[in-house]
Amino acid sequence: MSAVVEVDVQGPGRRHGAAGISALLLTALTVLTACIWFFPIYWALVTSFRTEDETVKSMSALPLQPTLDGYLYLIQNSSLPIWYVNSTIVSISVTILVVAMAACCGYAISQLRFPGRTALWWMILASFMVPVPALIVNHFMIIASVKLVNTYPGMVLPMLIAPVTVIVYKQFFDSVPREFREAALVDGANEFQLLFRIFLPMNWGVTTALAIITFIGAWNSFLWPFLAAQSEKMMTVTVGISSVQDAFGVYYARLLAGAVLASLPVAVAYLLFQRRVTEAITLSAGIKG
Amino acid sequence: MLKTRKNEIFAALVLIAPFVALYGWMFIYPTIQMVHLSLMNAPLIGEGTWAGLKNYQRLFNDRIFRVAVWNTAYFVILTVVPGTAVALAIALMVSRLNGWFQSIILAMFFLPYVLPVSVVYILWDWLFNVQFGVLQNVIQPIVGHPVNVRRTIPWFMPTMAIITIWWTNGFSILLFLAGLRNISREIYEAAELDGASRVQVFFRITWPLIWPVTVLCLTIQLILQLKIFDQVYLFSRGGRTQATMVLVQYIFEQAFQKNNGGYAATIAVALFIIVVAFSVLQFQAARIRRAT
Amino acid sequence: MRGILGKTLATAALLAFTVGAQAKETVVWWDFLGGGDGVRMKKLIEDFNNDHKDSIEIQGTTLEWGVPFYSKVQTSAAVGEGPDIMTYHSSRIPLGVSQNVLVEITPDDMKTIGLGEASFAKAPWEAVHVDGKQYAVPFDQHPIVLYYNKDKLAAAGLLGDDGLPKGLNGVDNFAAALKKLQDGGTKYGLSTVTADGSFAYRTFYSLLCQQGGTAGSDGNWLPGDNLQKMVNAVQVEADWVKNGATPKNTDYPSTVALFTNGDAAMMINGVWEVPTMVDLQKQGKLFNWGAVELPVFFDHPCTYSDSHTFAIPNNVGKAQTPEKHAAVLEVIKWMEDHALFWATAGHIPANKAVTDSAEYKALQPQATYAPLTANMIYDPTSKFAGVASPLFDAAGNSLTPAINGEIDVTTAVTEFRDTLTDLQ
Repeated sequence: MSAVVEVDVQGPGRRHGAAGISALLLTALTVLTACIWFFPIYWALVTSFRTEDETVKSMSALPLQPTLDGYLYLIQNSSLPIWYVNSTIVSISVTILVVAMAACCGYAISQLRFPGRTALWWMILASFMVPVPALIVNHFMIIASVKLVNTYPGMVLPMLIAPVTVIVYKQFFDSVPREFREAALVDGANEFQLLFRIFLPMNWGVTTALAIITFIGAWNSFLWPFLAAQSEKMMTVTVGISSVQDAFGVYYARLLAGAVLASLPVAVAYLLFQRRVTEAITLSAGIKG
Repeated sequence: MLKTRKNEIFAALVLIAPFVALYGWMFIYPTIQMVHLSLMNAPLIGEGTWAGLKNYQRLFNDRIFRVAVWNTAYFVILTVVPGTAVALAIALMVSRLNGWFQSIILAMFFLPYVLPVSVVYILWDWLFNVQFGVLQNVIQPIVGHPVNVRRTIPWFMPTMAIITIWWTNGFSILLFLAGLRNISREIYEAAELDGASRVQVFFRITWPLIWPVTVLCLTIQLILQLKIFDQVYLFSRGGRTQATMVLVQYIFEQAFQKNNGGYAATIAVALFIIVVAFSVLQFQAARIRRAT
Repeated sequence: MRGILGKTLATAALLAFTVGAQAKETVVWWDFLGGGDGVRMKKLIEDFNNDHKDSIEIQGTTLEWGVPFYSKVQTSAAVGEGPDIMTYHSSRIPLGVSQNVLVEITPDDMKTIGLGEASFAKAPWEAVHVDGKQYAVPFDQHPIVLYYNKDKLAAAGLLGDDGLPKGLNGVDNFAAALKKLQDGGTKYGLSTVTADGSFAYRTFYSLLCQQGGTAGSDGNWLPGDNLQKMVNAVQVEADWVKNGATPKNTDYPSTVALFTNGDAAMMINGVWEVPTMVDLQKQGKLFNWGAVELPVFFDHPCTYSDSHTFAIPNNVGKAQTPEKHAAVLEVIKWMEDHALFWATAGHIPANKAVTDSAEYKALQPQATYAPLTANMIYDPTSKFAGVASPLFDAAGNSLTPAINGEIDVTTAVTEFRDTLTDLQ
């Protein structure tokens, strides 16, 4: 931690006197707040590497006898591997379908003239007002009526409603100069080629950003997968770790190891694509950075 | 020319078809069906009978519904403005930093946002554990004894609010950071030349310029927190759920625990109206502001 | 893009197939046994699967006990996605039947299993019947008991020469004993679930019965002076909490931890925690302990009990194939035959052949508390009673604040009764 503070001293600290000291204090405060904010995650990591005995006996800053027992147990004996597969299938399906449908729809609304275009656009805008959790009862009835409860399609379908993605695409396609489209049309390209060869590649960054944020959202969603997955074999990680008990009493290190494993994919995705995630969030809120 | 026009319409219809079909099936249809169902006396799965406005009458006399409305409102009060204020403070702190140092500090603030709710639940449940939770070391000196925050009603919602702010604040922080970045350096430099203090700079320059982002954050948070379910459900399991009930949880309880599909839909309609009302109010407020 | 989607769907299909394509009959099993007894049930399932390597495989899932479990059962059965067999509390069977969640167990089924009325203890056998039809096969009886730390009781002079507690009968004596234990340096005299009135209801119901009281029946709950008797019952526990003998707002895991780590000298909990103690002691991590029938706080001994049973969910649109049904019956029969091992989980088997056996009679501390079967009381037969029922909800919501001193006991019990009376 001291190294970090040192680096900062060369930054705002360059100014001298009282301002310099207050800047230093502010930076120290920032670091302290960040450490407090991060503490729950840190504590989960520490606990997950403790022995079970230690979890209830020690509050040391680091595990006294670090062990991977919790992790090994989960990988070997629990359904966590299956839940991982389920979460992956569901999240990837949702991501691909949402992005693909939104790109197509956003392109049509942005570039093409067709009857009902304005109405469609207004409906998409208005759908912000509908609280999706209010629809769970009817979603369940619909999915049950087509016998898709406890199946992948049944879990994916209601998770595909993402009007924001359409709006973001539309706004980005709007900003593509009209000449591109006209030139390509003169060259004999059709609308699909235009979309897939010109508009999408031009906005590749947007697509990546939207895909990442959709993936994270899908991986983390709880309420609908919790209702749609009835058997242990169909549960996602998020649902599984909070519904299935391993019937061996309370094992804290194991529980926290499960929590760490459950969040690993999204945490890694975030750390790898930090900039894209930031971009996606500001995009989806309608702020162009 | 007519042919290209026809082609254009055809292409447009093909392109919007998947989205529109899904949107109709998973969004418009359930919304209409929800209203219809609220007029029925029906189980979750199976035939129902027409009930007219009976469910609505019941809603108005339902003590637990009122508790759920109050708890939801209480939760919104505890999270929206405080959460946004905390996010702004953090964004101001982080925006002073730069380079990889900023990235690390930002990551420490943002990481909770990407955690699944079950993980958030397991983490905090462990932190607050009455016997072995590390946070009891903070609670005990203040209160005098360990507190089971899940089961002590006055502690429940404030705890949920703290956890929620911790969990979802990354989003607002990023919005504020983007907003702060959009303020040109020159304004600050000019202020510095004038010898303005940090506090003056904040209230005279930063605050007015960041106000639109603040409104955006508040709106997004408001609509989001009205739909609170996950955390409250997970933490209240096995407790006095009636005392800690929130609206979406009440929908869930009526439909999936009590098998009252019709009444659940009625509560859903009520939630729907509340959210729409807030959205319209916000929209009108924005219009009035623009007009003046 | 279509490639990836295709692969995704293919993977899904493949997964579905690998489950379905085996020649072996798969029995999907749900239970809620997350306590010490869960370990024993896992072992039973494992042994069953080893015994039936070529014919049947149980795929077990343990879900969160109580409301989450029963909500899931109800919803999944309604859409035909429930398990093939599940554990079910006998107290909830009338409610389950009213919700159409349970399939009848026919006399033919019982013939296949080779068991009948004569094979079971009377109370659990009666509890699985509604309107003369059988809806589950009883597996055990699980009353609550008093666990005690022998070392601490001995130090406080509360242990007899026979190793059993003494001087605990009567509300005042018990309170005095708690005080003695605390004066001796123990943090709490007694740990019991105080964060959840629906759990504590088991104690209240026992104490109501000890005064000769009754819970009543549909539309006529806690009639006459039974209201006062219930108030007396709840007051006992509220006083323990008020005097600091029992910790406030303590939930299940903490209750057990307080006892096992020596912070509490006694614990009121279900017999299903016996294996937790046995296992800890085996690892050398526990003091000398014992478990006995609840003391007589009022006039005569009486203890609440429920019963775990096996039931078949009514999976709408997906009736069991004869092969599957036969496999399910085989599972039940095998479990009943191996109920002696289940007894090591603390439960009292419902199967009389097991409870009459010499092996069972030699088990400790089971043999110590076995006599309480003569003094057991089950929940009233009502579609409003049982685990995760409206009564259970009402107990949780109305009685919890009374235990913890947030509201007056009489107000709480009256509210509890009124909530029940309003049920239709």
